[in-house]
Amino acid sequence: MGNYLKMGLTLMAFAMVVAILLSAVYTITEDPIAQSELNVKLKSIKTVLTDPTSGELLIDEKDIPESQAKLEGMIWKQSDEDKLFTSDKYKGYCASPAYQFTLKDGRKAYVITGASVGYGGYVTIMCSFIGDADTLEMLRMEVLDYSQETPGLGAKIAEEPMKERFFEVPDAALKDSLKVDKDAGVAPAQTDAQINTYKDDGVIFISDLMTGATITPRGVANAINGMYEYLEQELGGE
Amino acid sequence: MIMAKLPEELSNGMFKNNPIFIQALGMCPTLATTTSATNALGMGMATLAVLIMSNVVISLIRKIVPDKIRIPVYVIIIAGFVTMIDLLMHGFLYDLWKTLGLFIPLIVVNCIILGRAEAYASKNGVFKSILDALGMGLGFAGALLLLGSVREILGAGTWFGLPLWGDAFNVFIMILPPGAFITLGLLVAGLNWIGISKEEKRKQKEKEAKAAAQAAEKAGA
Repeated sequence: MGNYLKMGLTLMAFAMVVAILLSAVYTITEDPIAQSELNVKLKSIKTVLTDPTSGELLIDEKDIPESQAKLEGMIWKQSDEDKLFTSDKYKGYCASPAYQFTLKDGRKAYVITGASVGYGGYVTIMCSFIGDADTLEMLRMEVLDYSQETPGLGAKIAEEPMKERFFEVPDAALKDSLKVDKDAGVAPAQTDAQINTYKDDGVIFISDLMTGATITPRGVANAINGMYEYLEQELGGE
Repeated sequence: MIMAKLPEELSNGMFKNNPIFIQALGMCPTLATTTSATNALGMGMATLAVLIMSNVVISLIRKIVPDKIRIPVYVIIIAGFVTMIDLLMHGFLYDLWKTLGLFIPLIVVNCIILGRAEAYASKNGVFKSILDALGMGLGFAGALLLLGSVREILGAGTWFGLPLWGDAFNVFIMILPPGAFITLGLLVAGLNWIGISKEEKRKQKEKEAKAAAQAAEKAGA
């Protein structure tokens, strides 16, 4: 009996020492972790608000928030739940909060984080939409989380040339919802001009860059469609 | 030979008892994280760090832990270390954490670490335990790197992300899970073949030496 008690107490002592050490490390790292997560978020916001063609930052440098408090001042819509909007049609959602920025030229930009189903789970992206209820253009998208996608195939989605295919999509194309070329059944594009023509029709051409992976870019296209659906609803446009 | 110069504790894990190729331990992280050379090296190094620390601590406390509860104590220590490393890297080395983040919690379930704690560190002094951890850790990391390199080169045409021949020749299956099994199987078979043929050559030489000695004896008689 005494032996068991001794063993139990020894085990408890070890568990307690490790627990105390862990809580100390947790306390030390709590702020740095929050700060580095925030930095990543801010960097993505800055990226999606940069013009992909000219490389020019579309908002004033000083308008970019550098702390959590300032970022909260930029919130456009938020919800008590994690999600602002769920799209059944596109199997996606928009995460809370969504941000609003005023560009140098006075137009409004909406920065939304959202996701849709990819190959192994949700693919999370951040997008910037510019304009109002009448015309809304999608400027740029960043892939935030694609950890469930197949390395070498779907995971190529985070590479720059891949992402560029989704940049600067006009309003008319967004209205009819975006598709990837395999789903739209179009002939392979030969030139950049042709890729842009397809984009104007709402077809994102990707099969030259991503052989054998249609599901991941389809997830990204659907996430964008879901965001557009949400924005249309919120802005009251047609 | 380099092998002969290394202390026994070190070379044991690196060659003779390589955790992957000989003992076939830790197969889950081995198969899952070797999609590229970078990932494989990251996983190998993270495991090496945890292995050294856990071996040191377990060797230090080996005399005060009652035999019957040693396994739960080891598990608490290893899990505690892994969580601390995860938190510290998340806070202070964000970029590295982002690359390795997925693998760090996996280290807890890597049976090499618990295996070395039980089989070696709990019976030997600190210095020897560090050598053992280094040997096993480097053996693990080396095997992972080899596996990751083969898979990345054949599957993506790159090595550490540097293009070798790009898209000209890609065997996609090498990056997918079946590629891990195929590569591992072929590597183990290849290493066994080398080992067996070495052994046979050694036996052949012994035989010849014996025959020569016998002949000399006969001639003498």
